[in-house]
Amino acid sequence: LNAAPGRAPRQHVRFLPAPAGADGKETGLVATTVPVLADHPLVRGPRFRRLKIGAGHRLDVKASGVFVLGIGHGNKLLTDLYNCHLTKVYTVGGLFGKATDDFSDTGKLVEKTTFDHITREKLERILAVIQGTNHKALLMHSNIDMKTQEAYELAVKGLIRPMGKSPPIITAIRCLQFTLPQFQLEIHCLHETQQYLRKIVHEIGLELKSSAVCTQVRRIRDGVFTLDDALLRTQWDLQSIRNAIWNCQLKVKTELEKTLG
Amino acid sequence: AVPGPLRGALRGPPAALRRGLAKPAGPQSIRQLREADEAAPIFQYAGKAAKRKDRVFVWGFSYSGALGLPSPVRPDVGWKKPRRIQPTPFRLETQEKISSAACGYGFTLLSSRTTDITKVWGMGLNKDSQLGFQRSRRDRTKGYEYVLEPSPIPLPLEKPQQTRVLQVSCGRAHSLILTDSEGVFTMGNNSYGQCGRKVVEDETYSESYLIHQLKEFDSRVVQVVCGQDHSLFRTKKGEVYACGWGADGQTGLGHYNITSVPTKLRGDIDGVNIIQVSSYGDCCLAVSDEGDIFGWGNSEYLQLASVTETTQVNVPRHLPFRIGKIKEAACGGTGNVALTEEGNVFVWGYGILGKGPNLIETAVPEMIPPSLFGLSDFNPDIRVAHVRCGLSHFAALTNRGELFVWGKNLRGCLGTGRMEDQYFPWRV
Repeated sequence: LNAAPGRAPRQHVRFLPAPAGADGKETGLVATTVPVLADHPLVRGPRFRRLKIGAGHRLDVKASGVFVLGIGHGNKLLTDLYNCHLTKVYTVGGLFGKATDDFSDTGKLVEKTTFDHITREKLERILAVIQGTNHKALLMHSNIDMKTQEAYELAVKGLIRPMGKSPPIITAIRCLQFTLPQFQLEIHCLHETQQYLRKIVHEIGLELKSSAVCTQVRRIRDGVFTLDDALLRTQWDLQSIRNAIWNCQLKVKTELEKTLG
Repeated sequence: AVPGPLRGALRGPPAALRRGLAKPAGPQSIRQLREADEAAPIFQYAGKAAKRKDRVFVWGFSYSGALGLPSPVRPDVGWKKPRRIQPTPFRLETQEKISSAACGYGFTLLSSRTTDITKVWGMGLNKDSQLGFQRSRRDRTKGYEYVLEPSPIPLPLEKPQQTRVLQVSCGRAHSLILTDSEGVFTMGNNSYGQCGRKVVEDETYSESYLIHQLKEFDSRVVQVVCGQDHSLFRTKKGEVYACGWGADGQTGLGHYNITSVPTKLRGDIDGVNIIQVSSYGDCCLAVSDEGDIFGWGNSEYLQLASVTETTQVNVPRHLPFRIGKIKEAACGGTGNVALTEEGNVFVWGYGILGKGPNLIETAVPEMIPPSLFGLSDFNPDIRVAHVRCGLSHFAALTNRGELFVWGKNLRGCLGTGRMEDQYFPWRV
């Protein structure tokens, strides 16, 4: 980064003695713009010695997916994005038949149960119940007076959501794949932690009179950033990072303007 | 056998002094985990006949006993306070699977399609014998005025072990019970002939044993509906009969007098095959098999204002709404709702109609946006399956089995858990 051509040195106006005339008699002052010596690279040193990097929403060790980082000025944008309270989308994989102490498949086994009675229809019924109760929580925590016309209009468009602190809320959940004993869910949520999602998988197992553990948690969207914008491990170099930042700038700006006004 | 006082001494030195080897708490190897996994016993929680039982949930005002829950009215423990309102749905234990339920003004009827002797249960207000005669346990000659638990209603059936009760319906102070082979039974208040029998002057309706049976219809009756003080019967051929109070024209017979014998309606529905009738207050709606809707009765709240300016309509009139083929319609006290074949919900009338606080009254049906019922890009195939009305609130049931309510929240009738009115559909 330091090797890249930096900003051009600042110029300022100095009154310098004019170059000597033919006979050396003129000593008037002439205004010329000269580069400021303080901006000279040998005086100033390397431009970047430290970088401020901040992280967006947390992603714990056992999960994977999109993880947003902000550099420098981006940290302020991160705070603004946090205040927008946008939803995140996860793909959660689960396995029926086991229950462990930390709800994932690497934990200590607590119990094993049968799961042959589970059908996709029963799972979808449970998911509908979860979505219903969370939808009510969404409306309750959004602190909007339900009796106003604007509350009605926001509800029609589906834009009601909590704009402050709230417990984890799932805005949408659906089953992508179902082959006994494995299943995969897509969950859209707000203010959650990955351990909360694992707990949801465990509770789904309990509701279906069996047990379930979570095998995979993968974030596929975090606000405006999707998997397509994310950089792979092999792409962690300066050029890709700069391209990624450049591509996302417009999206972030429009989203912030839309939500925070 | 170890004698009592010595038994404790054989347990050994206390744990602090023992030098046993504790199990290592570090992470076990994969092989040990797999062995523990395979050795673990498998539990089965789901039983063989794990079918979902149909359940009945009640909520609302509890003091009249209409909920069938005695504990909010008379708590069984002394320190518990009586609860006037049950704000969220509460499961009601029933002996049989209930197939039909109806709410009247302060009383409820539940019926099941069983061939047992007891087919209908009632609870709530019984001051006009709308629940039949409920013999009091303290005094065998008197009856109960308030019934707090679902109590069986004895019906004078000819073949009690073959006849099935198909449907029940409740009005303000009278009730109708429809059976499959023995006609319609009516009981309760008959001061306007709504029970289908001649009005007797100064009749006392409380503690009355009288249950009237109506069998004289052209074809079999398939639906009974009670309005506030009138009754409507729909037969298999698609005809509608009415009796009872008619001052608002709700009997639809062309006059404003009371009728004590069920009489066929004419007007715009003459010759039309009606597939559904609905009424609650003093307005009535009928839906034909071609998707047309007919209305008559009270129109003070603009329910029928699309065809007439008068406030009482005593002949059924066709309502020319261009909203598509109508599948189901329901009448409330002041507002009406219609459901089309595509699954859209239209409301009109007066009151909290469900489109925010700005829409108070409209004569032309307005559609409620389907996104309020959960339709989104995520769930594109959610449709409303049934709609019902109460006095000033509405309910809609979607094809995913979710219940949405909206309207005025009188004494917790919405069941949302809050006491405020709901201006747009809210999931219960």
